[in-house]
Amino acid sequence: MLGGAEMNDHIKLVIPCKPEYVSTVRLMVSSVASRAGFNIEAIEDMKVAVSEACTNIINHSKLCGEDEYRVMCTRGTDRMEILVEDDGVGFDAVGRPEVEQGKISESGLGIFIIKALMDEAEVLSEEGCGTRFLMAKYLTVGEE
Amino acid sequence: MTYAIKKDYDSQRDKWLVVLTGEIDISNAAGLKQELSDAYGEHAADMDVDISGISYIDSTGLGIIISLYGKMRESGNKIKLLNPRDNVKKLLKITQLDKVLC
Repeated sequence: MLGGAEMNDHIKLVIPCKPEYVSTVRLMVSSVASRAGFNIEAIEDMKVAVSEACTNIINHSKLCGEDEYRVMCTRGTDRMEILVEDDGVGFDAVGRPEVEQGKISESGLGIFIIKALMDEAEVLSEEGCGTRFLMAKYLTVGEE
Repeated sequence: MTYAIKKDYDSQRDKWLVVLTGEIDISNAAGLKQELSDAYGEHAADMDVDISGISYIDSTGLGIIISLYGKMRESGNKIKLLNPRDNVKKLLKITQLDKVLC
């Protein structure tokens, strides 16, 4: 994972690669984050970020609706980590152009949003090797 | 995951007044895109979209607005998003879409 704090509880979800289940993922993340003591703004950030990762997988993994991908929340003492991963076709994450600040574009917006909303975010992917979205949100003092 | 849309064309002002409520993501974005495109196809006019009732939107929903913004701009029209909630406002701000859509 992204490193850092001591980890404890893991909550995992394996779901079909279908759009109608993205809201189920949001519900799970929202529930775990709320239990961990995050405030509403941080929970909203995590809901959007995890949805963007799921949407990216549904749109680009070339998995069919019968295939599955995985979401795992790790509730740590001072953070929550979220992993979203598939076994799809992957993409060249290193060579992928970044979204330009201020330029209006539909393409690449999801990953840009994940990075903007989360305290840590990485996208690991190689062609033919699936994709992993790793992200973390810190639990700040006074939230818990 | 549902949304509701109310569309009214004001012929005196030559403007669409659209009210959106609910949540918009990958599961329902295609339907919304069709609804807004149909409206614009019916009357190519500016569009004011009240999104105070939108509790959730992500890049898929924003992509629809961006797409429509581009199409309308080509024909000299504008789309404006009105009264976003704080969570939606934050998303518009980090993507800098607030500068052109609000």
